[in-house]
Amino acid sequence: MKLRPFSLLAYGFVASYSVMVALPIVWMFLSSLKTVRELFTTPFGLPVDPQWQNYAKAWSGGIGLYLWNSTTVTLTSVLFIVVVSTLAAYALARLRFPGRLAIYLLLIAGFAVPVHTVLVPLYRTLNWLSLLNTQVGLIAPYVAFGIPFSVLLLYAFFLEFPAEIEDAACIDGCNTFQTVGFIVIPLSLPAVVSVIIFQAVFLWNEFSLALIVIRDDWLRTIPLGLTKFQGQWATDWGVMLAALSLATLPLLLLFLLLQRQFIRSLAGFSK
Amino acid sequence: MPPSRLPFSRDQQQVRFFMMRSPASARHPTSRELLEWRDAYLLVAPALLFFLAFVIYPLLSTVYLSAFDYSLTGGSLRFVGAANFAELLEDEVFWRALRNNGTILVVSVIVQCGLGLIIAALLDRAIRRGQALFRTLNFIPVIMSSVAVGVLWQLVYDPSVGLANQIVKMLGFTPPKQGWLGDPDLVIYSILLVACWQYTGYVMTIVLAGLQSVPMELYEAAELDGANEVQKFFSITIPSINNVLIAVTLITMVGAFKVFDLIYILSRGGPANSSQVMGTYIYYNAFTVNRGGYASAMSVVLLVFALCLGLLQVRMSSRSREVA
Repeated sequence: MKLRPFSLLAYGFVASYSVMVALPIVWMFLSSLKTVRELFTTPFGLPVDPQWQNYAKAWSGGIGLYLWNSTTVTLTSVLFIVVVSTLAAYALARLRFPGRLAIYLLLIAGFAVPVHTVLVPLYRTLNWLSLLNTQVGLIAPYVAFGIPFSVLLLYAFFLEFPAEIEDAACIDGCNTFQTVGFIVIPLSLPAVVSVIIFQAVFLWNEFSLALIVIRDDWLRTIPLGLTKFQGQWATDWGVMLAALSLATLPLLLLFLLLQRQFIRSLAGFSK
Repeated sequence: MPPSRLPFSRDQQQVRFFMMRSPASARHPTSRELLEWRDAYLLVAPALLFFLAFVIYPLLSTVYLSAFDYSLTGGSLRFVGAANFAELLEDEVFWRALRNNGTILVVSVIVQCGLGLIIAALLDRAIRRGQALFRTLNFIPVIMSSVAVGVLWQLVYDPSVGLANQIVKMLGFTPPKQGWLGDPDLVIYSILLVACWQYTGYVMTIVLAGLQSVPMELYEAAELDGANEVQKFFSITIPSINNVLIAVTLITMVGAFKVFDLIYILSRGGPANSSQVMGTYIYYNAFTVNRGGYASAMSVVLLVFALCLGLLQVRMSSRSREVA
């Protein structure tokens, strides 16, 4: 390809924008290994003597526990979301029953509801169920808010799913539930993976609900835990940046490994 | 987390599917149909129960509670009619919050969609080598939690030793006197910069995918006619991805009403409520000053905005298949 002036200009623009995007992140990782003093004297230099103990301090300061909490809450919620959404989406796409349209419209409407509009009653309900300050109290609304998106995505997938395969299963004597469990779910893996990634990223990063539901330190998820660091380690930037790096690394590594799937899922491409 | 796109695909098909009446709705159902109904309800039940209990019921409660003087810490539940809404009209902070959501909407649509479109077009038309690398890099902030992003940028914006001041000084300018987050006139834009930093890559990724489906022949034909890059951009690129552009604009608009994490972390709505948005002001009223009823009234207003935008999103995405 010949490099015309236009191309050069394009490279220059895109590259400088990308540097702006990368800069704070690179700075975060580099600075997490520096002493507080070094952080201010050479902000862009490589760490002279990598301060790995920043990571040790961040880990024992709670990040290890918060990572574990986020992992449990995220995985449990995603598991529930996938199971209940697949079943519902299958029924909506394949079976005829009264009330189907009403349920479908209700889900679409639910999709538009921002979580901040229901914080007050949700807190009230969870309090009434004695679920405040428990992981179940976090998982239940997470599942509920994950359902509209997941059902609509899987529903769109099932509509295109060839009916012949299910018919063949019916002839072999499967009932509806066996058909879903043994035929439909295994063959819908691409859509299911999309749902899993989308919900996992969303829940791993979720903050508002965690903020009102969780009170005890040992139950904090990662975003909630970071706010504690924001207060307690406000002067020791090295430790705080190590905490941020630890909070970011799991999803970042997964993203770099599974880029195509992540982008397809999060940017909502159907193919 | 980026506001999500509606996961529709074959929309025309979906619409037609629902236009068909259930065959049994007019007459008495056969036993085979009854079995199908039973299976269907069993399959839908778990999802529907979760959804009704933790989305729909709270939603209705919000509307109900908006007519009460109500405190979450217990005690009072006193009917006040429309008094909460009347108070909203008088509440300067509420209007400030609404205006801030408006500012966020306008600026993020212009910056995120504008910049996202330009970068995507450049990547598509002028950059072959390194395209994937640029795309990956710009997508990284999208998967970061906005809390982590907020805490990181708080350090970047630190008035004494932050990265932002160092860079501004290096370029020979003077950093803002009251700090990036301490100046009531500046704070919302400082936070907007962070939001744009985080999500422009998201818009870019979606637009780029749209651009890559524009047939090369169109550009080649225009080249034969002697069109330059700018002419091609306006006469081919933009019209071909019209639907994608509408979709990302709507996504960005929806996102503008969902802003919470960044503001909560970076400024708590301050200084002096100057960066308050609907989300943070609802939270403040409900959980800091214990005015659950008042917060619910505000939630109803936010809900109206959200549902209108949602409706627009559904209409737009069912009008065109490409959007999905």
